[in-house]
Amino acid sequence: MVEREVAQRLFAREFNDSKFSIHPELYEVSHEGGHAPNFLVSPVGSKINRLFVAGVVTEIDNIGTEHDLWRARVVDPSGVFIIYAGQYQPEAAIFLSTLEIPEYVSVIGKARIYEPESGSVFISIRPEDINMIDAGTRDRWIVDTAELTLDRVDAFSKAIASDLTGTELIGHLIRNNSPQGLAEGITLALDHYHTDEGYLHKLKGVVLDCVRSIGTGSGGKDAVPYEDHVLELMKEMDMGKGIDYAELVIIAKSRGMVEGVIVAAVRKLLARGMCYEPKIGILKVVS
Amino acid sequence: MNNKLAPHIEELTKALENIDIGESQIGEELKKLLDFRVPLDEAKRTIIRKFRSTFMPIMKIKDITAGLKGFEVTGRIIDVTEKSVNLRSKETVIFSGTLADEDGACSFTAWNDNSLKSGEVIRIKNAYSRSWHNRSEVNFGQRSHIEKLPDDTLPSIDELCKTPAKKLRDVANTDLSVSSVAVILEYSHKNVTVKGENVTIIEGVVADETAKLPFTSWVSLDGLDIGSVIRFENASVRMFRGVPSLNFNENTIIGAVVSTEELPFTFESANMIPEPVAIGEIMVKDGMFDTVALGNIISIRPGSGIITRCPECNRVIQKNTCRVHGTVEGVKDMRIKAILDDGTGAVSVMLNRELSEIVYGRSMPEAEDIIQKAISQDAVFGDMRQVLTGKYLAVRGNTSSNEFGIMLVAKSAWFPDDNTNDRVSALMGRLGNNREGKRGEVYNG
Repeated sequence: MVEREVAQRLFAREFNDSKFSIHPELYEVSHEGGHAPNFLVSPVGSKINRLFVAGVVTEIDNIGTEHDLWRARVVDPSGVFIIYAGQYQPEAAIFLSTLEIPEYVSVIGKARIYEPESGSVFISIRPEDINMIDAGTRDRWIVDTAELTLDRVDAFSKAIASDLTGTELIGHLIRNNSPQGLAEGITLALDHYHTDEGYLHKLKGVVLDCVRSIGTGSGGKDAVPYEDHVLELMKEMDMGKGIDYAELVIIAKSRGMVEGVIVAAVRKLLARGMCYEPKIGILKVVS
Repeated sequence: MNNKLAPHIEELTKALENIDIGESQIGEELKKLLDFRVPLDEAKRTIIRKFRSTFMPIMKIKDITAGLKGFEVTGRIIDVTEKSVNLRSKETVIFSGTLADEDGACSFTAWNDNSLKSGEVIRIKNAYSRSWHNRSEVNFGQRSHIEKLPDDTLPSIDELCKTPAKKLRDVANTDLSVSSVAVILEYSHKNVTVKGENVTIIEGVVADETAKLPFTSWVSLDGLDIGSVIRFENASVRMFRGVPSLNFNENTIIGAVVSTEELPFTFESANMIPEPVAIGEIMVKDGMFDTVALGNIISIRPGSGIITRCPECNRVIQKNTCRVHGTVEGVKDMRIKAILDDGTGAVSVMLNRELSEIVYGRSMPEAEDIIQKAISQDAVFGDMRQVLTGKYLAVRGNTSSNEFGIMLVAKSAWFPDDNTNDRVSALMGRLGNNREGKRGEVYNG
């Protein structure tokens, strides 16, 4: 029996922090049924082959030359998922080619890792299915993902505390009610990333911000939350030479906004021509 | 030469430490291969492979699944009967019966006359298992080795046969019989033909606070009905599609429980819609009776939409041709096959016409209209994907496992209520402990 790969739930931050992939020919050959999938391992031990995300599409580009290749940015409250749909994902490509942004979507797809040279890793999603959803489904996804992420963080904490490694750690985690896949993922992640309590704490902060984002904004389809706030803030900050993007993000955060939301708002403002980017990293409000 | 090989022999001995061979034997094998000028690495690999295949894991009866080969098992023969079967048009005598150890029992078949007697404790080497009546059965044949062990190796027959008192959730395929207390939720009579004779049997469902299970009674249950709480002893357990079912027969002692105040369940509590179970938990069981799963529809599978069935056998057919009944006048039907995934696991879910109409939001005539207008058989399938992919769905029904994974045939399906607010509060509590006043710090890391 070949088991279907479970669609993992994780926030963009955890996904994009993942730099470590397993190819079965290097790792284990003896997978039942002969065919073993590739996995991306996240810093807290998600073994990601397939994933399910819900978020806001903020940008769609056709970057293909010979053939269409659609790239989309799907934003959750913690960051951005990059989606590529080319000629072998015709349904997703057609969907993206006609979609108006911003729009809430769900994406089911496979994790892709691209390493043009050692040290630089690009993570993206190759979609199997994209569909429009409503704001309620997006909020529910955030809640599901928050719960499952915290479960992973808790299990990872136990792994750090146990001081075990390898098969001993896998056994220990399974005895502590972790599913087999997660126990393996945590063991691999601990060995590769040396994830510490500091990272777990940071990720918990990300989860908290994501949960807090529920209910903010108008919930309307065409309003990326905080857009007006961000515009106000930019006007406030601009002393004539434009605004440093990084500084804007820091100040906006200090006012209780979430990074993903700020990024989405800036993109929307750029797309609507409310501001522009005279130099990379510098924004200026159109007066 | 030998000195050079010593570390390699040591390494091989270590790799094969569970296996009963000596260092000298490994040394000889290695030397023989090297004399043929086989490269050292290849020679080592060959030796490991050769001896691994003779390595026999020792199994407990409860861990035996169908399709295992070459294992060792020890058990006491509870009963054994001689049977004459027709094997490749040759009359053959086989011996079958029941084998038990401390925590499980299973049936066995011996293909040779080993003069087995009930009560004996035996160790079987190189046994194999297969599926028989939906359970695993130990088989031993010509290549198996049987050894009789002293009587005190295992508890006595009486002790091994004591039917355990169990909660219904814990009834498993290594229970030949069980005892428990449960309330009857469903109860109906049915006429069946057994060996040419008409018999009235009773079918139904019993439940306690942990689970529900189907039951069949071959004896009359006078004075009992829906709502009765019963105590039963020595009910035999049969497996059907991975789900255990209870059988009450003349060996079963059944009685009504009069004082029910002390019980942890009532008819009402046992009869409620079950709480959703994490799909990851459903996946580790071969089958579950009356369970609820909740997740996102992450895929609508091909074969969903309007389909045509054979009027004789209900098989799905193409172009009015059934592979059993030839050319037939097909009957239209509608169904949805979906993958439901909650992040812990994935099950395929089957929705019949009635449930498909509810979930899809269109009746079958409306769906047929879509096909007419689009002039494409796939139009409904495409539309279903658009309507349903990504949505949350709850389904209730029985699960079973087959070669494609776990499947749930839905008896009911609904879009679950949005409980986001409650869960957000719970999450805040879970995150709150060490979080107050630390917002800024989180980002700087």
